Amino acid sequence: MCESMRSAGVGIWLVLAGGLAPGCGPAAYDIEPSRDTHGTIEVTARLLEIPPGAIFERELYNYATVLKYQVLEVHRGKVNGDVIYVGHYNPARPRAQVADKLVPAIGGNLKTFHAGDVHRLSLDGAMLDHFSGGVLNKYAEEGADPIYWAVWTDLVRE
Amino acid sequence: MCNKRLIDWVVIVPLLAIIAAPGLIQTAFEVRNRERPGVFEVFDRAPTARNLHDFERDLERSSLVLRVLRPWVQYGRFRLLADPGEKAVAGRDGWLFYEPGVRFVVERRSEPWQPGRAAIDAIRAFRDELQARGIVLYVVPVPGKESVYPDQLAWRATDAGVIVPARTAWLFDELRRHGIAAIDLFTVFRQLRGGRVHASPLYLAQDTHWSPQGAQLAAHAVAERILRSGAIALGNRRYRARTAAVDRVGDLVLMLQSPAIEAFVSPERVLCRQVLEPDSDVPYHDEPAAEVLVLGDSFLRIYERDEPGSAGFLAQLASELQAPVASIVNDGGGATLVRQELARRPNLLKNKRVVIWEFAERDLRDALDGWHIVSLDRSNSIPR
Amino acid sequence: MVFTTSLFVFYFLPLVLALYFSLLEACRRLGASDRACSLVLNAVLVCASYVFYGWWEPWFVLLMLGVTAINYLCARVASRPSVDPRRKARATRLAILASLGTLGFFKYAPFLEQNLNDLLSWFGVERAPVLALSLPIGISFYVFHALSYTIDIERRTAAPVRSGLDFACYIAFFPQLVAGPIIRYNTVAEQLVHRTVSAERFRSGIVLFVLGFAKKILLANPMGRVADAAFGAQSPGALDAWFGAVAFSIQIYFDFAGYSDMAIGLARMIGFEFPRNFNAPYQSQSITDFWRRWHISLSTFLRDYLYIPLGGNRRGPIRTYVNLLVVMLLGGLWHGANWTYVVWGAYHGVLLALERYHGKRGFWLGMPRGIRVCGTLVLVLVSWVFFRAASLHDALIYLAAMCGQSSAGPAWLALPSLLYTRTSLAVMAVAGVVLAWPVQAHDWSREITGSRAMLIHPLFCLALLVMISQSFNPFLYFQF
Repeated sequence: MCESMRSAGVGIWLVLAGGLAPGCGPAAYDIEPSRDTHGTIEVTARLLEIPPGAIFERELYNYATVLKYQVLEVHRGKVNGDVIYVGHYNPARPRAQVADKLVPAIGGNLKTFHAGDVHRLSLDGAMLDHFSGGVLNKYAEEGADPIYWAVWTDLVRE
Repeated sequence: MCNKRLIDWVVIVPLLAIIAAPGLIQTAFEVRNRERPGVFEVFDRAPTARNLHDFERDLERSSLVLRVLRPWVQYGRFRLLADPGEKAVAGRDGWLFYEPGVRFVVERRSEPWQPGRAAIDAIRAFRDELQARGIVLYVVPVPGKESVYPDQLAWRATDAGVIVPARTAWLFDELRRHGIAAIDLFTVFRQLRGGRVHASPLYLAQDTHWSPQGAQLAAHAVAERILRSGAIALGNRRYRARTAAVDRVGDLVLMLQSPAIEAFVSPERVLCRQVLEPDSDVPYHDEPAAEVLVLGDSFLRIYERDEPGSAGFLAQLASELQAPVASIVNDGGGATLVRQELARRPNLLKNKRVVIWEFAERDLRDALDGWHIVSLDRSNSIPR
Repeated sequence: MVFTTSLFVFYFLPLVLALYFSLLEACRRLGASDRACSLVLNAVLVCASYVFYGWWEPWFVLLMLGVTAINYLCARVASRPSVDPRRKARATRLAILASLGTLGFFKYAPFLEQNLNDLLSWFGVERAPVLALSLPIGISFYVFHALSYTIDIERRTAAPVRSGLDFACYIAFFPQLVAGPIIRYNTVAEQLVHRTVSAERFRSGIVLFVLGFAKKILLANPMGRVADAAFGAQSPGALDAWFGAVAFSIQIYFDFAGYSDMAIGLARMIGFEFPRNFNAPYQSQSITDFWRRWHISLSTFLRDYLYIPLGGNRRGPIRTYVNLLVVMLLGGLWHGANWTYVVWGAYHGVLLALERYHGKRGFWLGMPRGIRVCGTLVLVLVSWVFFRAASLHDALIYLAAMCGQSSAGPAWLALPSLLYTRTSLAVMAVAGVVLAWPVQAHDWSREITGSRAMLIHPLFCLALLVMISQSFNPFLYFQF
């Protein structure tokens, strides 16, 4: 066995071990400390489902998709009922990378939407007041109304 | 022997470094930011195929090395090979085309063509519902840039003028067969172009959309047709107009997501005809109670809600009709989403005599969310 | 998992290599025996292979475990020294039936049902719903691996494995799991127990991996885009159709040969030595020659396990032609459950039979070498049309287009924008040079000089950069 390979293997292991240590720590999914400055409503809610075709990569246009949540706790403001509809901007992208010129004040630590996950959401009222681009609403036939606009979306580890 | 050993070193160590570096850099970066390394997220969910693929995609998307390098690779390909990537096609004189739009023209359609049938069914159902309310529907399939400027796309089409793709020709035939009023912008654009790229092209070179001149011409053709049919009369609101210049980086350039390419490509300067309310400098705005409702996609949004504002198809149409219009605009959602939105806002149909329904011709193949029959009465839609 | 993804290159591979070589080093330091060491390393490889395979669909691993277990147990029974011959035959038959049954059910049942439906519908019988099965990836490869073991044991051309772990490693070994080459058991039996790991072998392995990687990313993928455009076009002209067929020929070769190089290179890095799978097939001078150079592991497998048992060429000329046809038909069907593959196989079978009929008397052998190579290439190119087309109908339309039978329309006008781009022309030119190059990657990677070493890093970096900037990265072996 060649020396070069030994040292390369040892080197890889050292760095991996370095990565592992903090991986076991509690630093994961810090809740954004200044989150109460985002939006007018703040809730913890469970994403009930992701309808087929509701989230996809769309290279040419920005879009928002409407997702359905079960509200678990209201931290700030008021929402209509236990089940709410929330519009997410460009949902195929991680929340931390989604802000752009069109929708600058938006973010969170959520990387991917998964049905059943719990999110801590900072919301604003009527989505159409905040976003005038294409909207994909798979709940149109349910008469989804109002549709809140997600300003900040963090994943909550249960 | 010594030389061989050196070569082994020279080959192996850098190659191992290359494959190990992105993961290690990413981990180090995340640790430094007091984040949990993304690679451990694989253990957060049940190992289903979907979760694993999501994890893989997230890992790739969050990779620092990839995010830094990718735009530069795009730039290199763009400069060296005139290759704008997989979603765009390079034409002549710096023109760019949207690849799905080109495929819409080029690709064979299967028989029976389900998306086409679904489109016809949805259009017929919508026409019938509007007819029951005494409203006339006009369907306006907007030609793709590839259809209007095939000569800028491919050498073989140098003298072709405006072409009508097979799918679109089929749509017009079907609309005619079912007695649905359609406005043929292909003919309108063909008459103007006459096979030339004139000084004011009807489409932008680096964008999928029409130019201000294209929007104006389309609005003129639509207004003329509606007025001629007698569905509504010419209004009496004399809008004013002024010229506004806009520097626009095309959506096809932005789509490449490479700041280096954006910096390299000069924005296109276009002169827009901004419509103003009568006797004021206030830009034109829609009125929900207008007699004409326009549904459509980003072809309605450009210049109207984007810069400079009130200079797009809607404002030009209002100017031609000498009356305001109401509108529902949904980027890429001309096929179904605009009608769903209308079903949610039935008040918009009050006082209406004409509905103009615009959608991009490539929606026949690639409609966002497909073609659904949307009932205006029950606000429900039947997936097709 | 696919070799040409960030996940594999930047995470899976470094992790597996680090684990493998760390444990190898630990074994040596602890003074463990060769056998103990190989068991530990095989365990690492099995775990890594199951993760690699399960990435597509985790339950596929269970199916592979089932095939592994049944072949291992049956061969164990069949290999007992004192076993009753009837019991031995029964055990072998059971393993073969179970393996082929699994392959047949997942790969061919929906195809058979579909065809039965078509047939019965002619007689007015209502169509029955067709089973919607997802085809476990690589099933054709690992079933052939399992069969190779069972048959070698039955024929006593190989000794039975010493542990189930070794056998699981042979079946699941991730480098060759999903796209081959088909490694016969007796080729690696010894290496499963004892293999040589050296810097030189590691170096030649990683170089071969890089060459295969570059073939796939830099040559096959861009040509794939061109082929997709041509084969999907409404009305390609004759030039377009030929261009598309050439592009597909380049894609299929560099994709498949690239995967084989990557597989052989990866195996070499960790101490396994696999035979070459491609040997400049587009330089062949006849179809017989082509099949000695193309997917060699499959053609030798079919020769040894099908053609020879059928009688080979020992039972007279007619039987030989029939055997050739049967072998190629089944070989075609092995590539996918579609009539296009059957016709592709039959086409090659007929050509092989014709060449055998003419033998050394044929006028073809009297032609200059260049003409023979070009003629063979054209015959192969035409066969790829059947291989690539979605249906026989599409294949015939495409062949008609190659003969100039298509109408000019809007699609024809716009098609050049997708075909004759600067990238595609450049890639095709480079591919042409590589195809004509006398030295093959398999050999090139063994003799690394200083200048070659300097070439390999930029090539790898270029291929990686292109990989991260492209989303078009098709995996052609889903239906294999």
